[in-house]
Amino acid sequence: MHIAVMITVVLLPILGGILIPMLPFRGRREMLWYIEALVLINSILVLTVLLFQPEEAFVLFRFTGNLRVSFHLDGMGKVFAALAAALWPLAALYSFEYMKNDNNEKSFFMFYVITYGVTLGIAMADNILTMYFFFEMMSLVTLPLIMHTRTREAVLASRSYLYYMLGGAAFAFIGMIFILSYGTTSTFVPGGVLDLNKIGDKTNMMLLVYVLCFLGFGVKTAIWPFSGWLPRAGVAPTPVTALLHAVAVVNTGAFATMRITYYSFGTGLLRGTWAQSVVLLLVIFTILYGCSRALKETHIKRRLAWSTVSNLSYILFGVALMSPLGLAGALCHMLFHSFMKIGSFFCAGAVMHETGRSYVHELDGLGRKMPRVFAIFTICGMALMGVPGLAGFVSKWQLAQAAVASENPLAWVGVLALLASALLTAIYMLTISVRAFFPGKEFDYDTVPDVSDPGWMMLLPLVIFVAVIVLFGLHSQPFVEYLQGVALSMPT
Amino acid sequence: MSSLWILSPVLAAWIAGAFLLIWSFAEHLKQNVPKEQSAGSAKQILAGETPDGLSCEPGLGAVHGLAIGALAAAAILALWVAWSGDGSVTLFYLMKDIPIYFQVDGIGRWFVTLVTAVWVPVGIYSARYMRHEGEEKRFFGFYLLLYGVLVCLDFAGNLITMYLFYELMTLTSFPLVLHSGSREAIMAALKYLFYSLCGAYMGLFGIFFLYRFCTNLIFVPGGILSQDVIGQHGGILLAAVMLMLVGFGAKAGMFPLHAWLPAAHPVAPSPASAVLSGIIVKSGVLAVIRVVYYIVGPDFLRGTWVQYTWMALSLTTIFMGSLLAYREPNLKKRLAYSTVSNLSYILFGLAALSPTGFTGALLHVAFHGVVKCGLFLTAGIFLFCCNKTKVEELTGIGQKMPAVLWCYTLLSLTLIGIPPTGGFVSKWYLAQGALEANLGPWSYAGPVILLISALLTAGYLLPLVTKGFFPGEPGQDQESEDIVTERKKPGAAMLIPLLILTALALVMGLFPNALIEYANIISNMLL
Repeated sequence: MHIAVMITVVLLPILGGILIPMLPFRGRREMLWYIEALVLINSILVLTVLLFQPEEAFVLFRFTGNLRVSFHLDGMGKVFAALAAALWPLAALYSFEYMKNDNNEKSFFMFYVITYGVTLGIAMADNILTMYFFFEMMSLVTLPLIMHTRTREAVLASRSYLYYMLGGAAFAFIGMIFILSYGTTSTFVPGGVLDLNKIGDKTNMMLLVYVLCFLGFGVKTAIWPFSGWLPRAGVAPTPVTALLHAVAVVNTGAFATMRITYYSFGTGLLRGTWAQSVVLLLVIFTILYGCSRALKETHIKRRLAWSTVSNLSYILFGVALMSPLGLAGALCHMLFHSFMKIGSFFCAGAVMHETGRSYVHELDGLGRKMPRVFAIFTICGMALMGVPGLAGFVSKWQLAQAAVASENPLAWVGVLALLASALLTAIYMLTISVRAFFPGKEFDYDTVPDVSDPGWMMLLPLVIFVAVIVLFGLHSQPFVEYLQGVALSMPT
Repeated sequence: MSSLWILSPVLAAWIAGAFLLIWSFAEHLKQNVPKEQSAGSAKQILAGETPDGLSCEPGLGAVHGLAIGALAAAAILALWVAWSGDGSVTLFYLMKDIPIYFQVDGIGRWFVTLVTAVWVPVGIYSARYMRHEGEEKRFFGFYLLLYGVLVCLDFAGNLITMYLFYELMTLTSFPLVLHSGSREAIMAALKYLFYSLCGAYMGLFGIFFLYRFCTNLIFVPGGILSQDVIGQHGGILLAAVMLMLVGFGAKAGMFPLHAWLPAAHPVAPSPASAVLSGIIVKSGVLAVIRVVYYIVGPDFLRGTWVQYTWMALSLTTIFMGSLLAYREPNLKKRLAYSTVSNLSYILFGLAALSPTGFTGALLHVAFHGVVKCGLFLTAGIFLFCCNKTKVEELTGIGQKMPAVLWCYTLLSLTLIGIPPTGGFVSKWYLAQGALEANLGPWSYAGPVILLISALLTAGYLLPLVTKGFFPGEPGQDQESEDIVTERKKPGAAMLIPLLILTALALVMGLFPNALIEYANIISNMLL
């Protein structure tokens, strides 16, 4: 019975989402109730699955031989599923208020809810084929969300999004084929599935394929040189940018790279090779590149998007360390970053929604009008910087410890990059807070539009995110131990 | 004493500080409510002006009462905690094996006493001074928060706890620097913030590596790094320690990262620059002491390239700071450069890695803390009463405000190090320590540069005294009469703290034995 629940959590949002435009709602209110109930019930179901911890895999259907679409929930998947389950109901609540004056709400919410199921599908994918299937689906269902406003800019952004995603998937496909033909099985097994006898002297080719595959899945995490799509996708409504482009979509990319590195190719084959160096170099470069671009950017959402580029590469940095500690750090940052970044985006969205202003220099003095929003934004910013006592410090600590322990000089350079990036983060996040709260003596408060903090539906998620950030910042031990348990079960 | 009582002064300061901040913020929000009124007129209604041009926010008496009362209570508690014996408390575990842990030890006691001795007089001084800057609730709120953070920083028992409060110190002192809200102040404050964060992150890099090789980072006199732990990682560890020295040195204004000091001091309100120069920069010194003498251990660094580089950097800074101060016309900026130079005296003493050098450094921490604070208070009085910032504009000031200029003179003499004063004692020990360290040419270069710098110090501090007391030709005198007109009286609230600090500086200089003894106890424990 538990196994059936597993497939339910994937299918329920997909089917429920498709029903949204068809159901005869008598008003907006009714539709919102339906959506929130759907998402909440699904989240509760996810939690039930997490609690019961089904051991076996659920096979949906088989193609031929060992090719099948099947689901299984392991330690890593649990983390991702729990993250999605925690964020979706809150983000939905936020978007109810944000999308209030939108004409095309129904299609928005349809795809929004469908994406939930697809994300869970990736979290619970049992083998590389299933993951690939949902990975492609993710690109397709999020496309209409970027196009949502139907402006020329949005259409162009979604087109480039599509090209990037299809290109990435093509690379990833190559990797999948090689794993299917050189691996013992397509299922994810801790430590990798490659059959060393089959590879023989083709190690270098396998490494090349790994790099291609890493980049292919890495397109979704906006690794350099494939980071252009993410800031451009910021034309989407803020709930989309916040939940999908700061959390769900980019995290699926990170999650997929973890899967192929630790569960398909296996770190035994990769560690210490040129492939690891290439990947590490790219990731370190992306960390710095993302921050620098964020610093240069004056559009607040695009600035946060570049910040996401850099932070996602923190996660990939942990992945590329190819050690269990690195994996634990990567998972930790994946989770904490989601809360910090979705919080920042929601604050930015609240400001844009209330005032219609979207550039950093237009935010002067708004701290006095929207104190709660900017206070929360400041806390999120400090967490991203890694002030101790907030969640960001914990995950950076894990990543840095893993890097130091790896005894790889390139990883040590990576630690330097992490800290340089922290400084840049401080600059691009705190200047916004300073502008908002201390606009200067000569500042004329008459120029500030007469706005106030948004309603409870937008504030409640923000408050919860801040609570989580502080809670994990002050007391992360059980959680970190769980992650290390997941990672250390891996044969090295 | 081993209980949560250690944190009682912190709690007292934080509760009062948070209350004042919330009060200040709530008031601003209230100003927004009448929509038809512009923000400017609302402000005028709320904040009237007294006849002598000072702002008079409503409830000012209550603010002062609360702030000074809480400060006094926190100060008494802090001194009681510091001097009632060693103690420690583990608050909670931030991460596995990493507790937030406080302990009261010799060096913490030394710094807390200094902080308290400076914080209370400057607090009283601000009660009057800040009426000229406005936004007093916000100022006192952060002032109190910062006091609590500093007490935590001084009592921190491991490196992570120290790092936590080091960052918090930067973040809470930041609003004090930008207090006036002018564009210049905001830019300077941001510069301060980013230099400090840059330094802190360099320190964090070192902490990552030290944690790997030390397993726990509790401060133990003499260090916890043993040869067998280091193994083949000596090279990278030395590099990490060097980064930490430069990083934490940023707060202490050491050479490559010193530029924030002369930017931040002139724009901050005078009480804020006083504590910035007297206390906050000393936290950088404390961090260096904790890393070198309590974690890494002086033996690990002795004779390595790190020691030589550190020495070279600090000597460069001493010379450069004095020279820049000598060329600087703005009084507060001149004092800021003087701080750059003097803080490197301390770092130089620490770099000698010898007991005498350490004693000298500790003594200079105390003397410089009190003296520089006093000097900034006099600069503040000049600014408050005559609205003068440049040294040459203050010609003839001694005839108008003899008491203030006498205090300035005595404090200057102490800083220069004329024999019976405190500066002489500490510099004597610093020079001795450098010679004791046996570093060849470096040992000799140290005292020579100290001497040159002392001459320069006289050169940049004393012109104000001569010009102030002896304005020179009558024609110039006439002119200065016009310039130096007292707009406002300093009042007892500003004079008494200055007198206290001056007296303190003199007493410490004339009877330094108790201090020397205590500093020797600490340094003998470490080396």
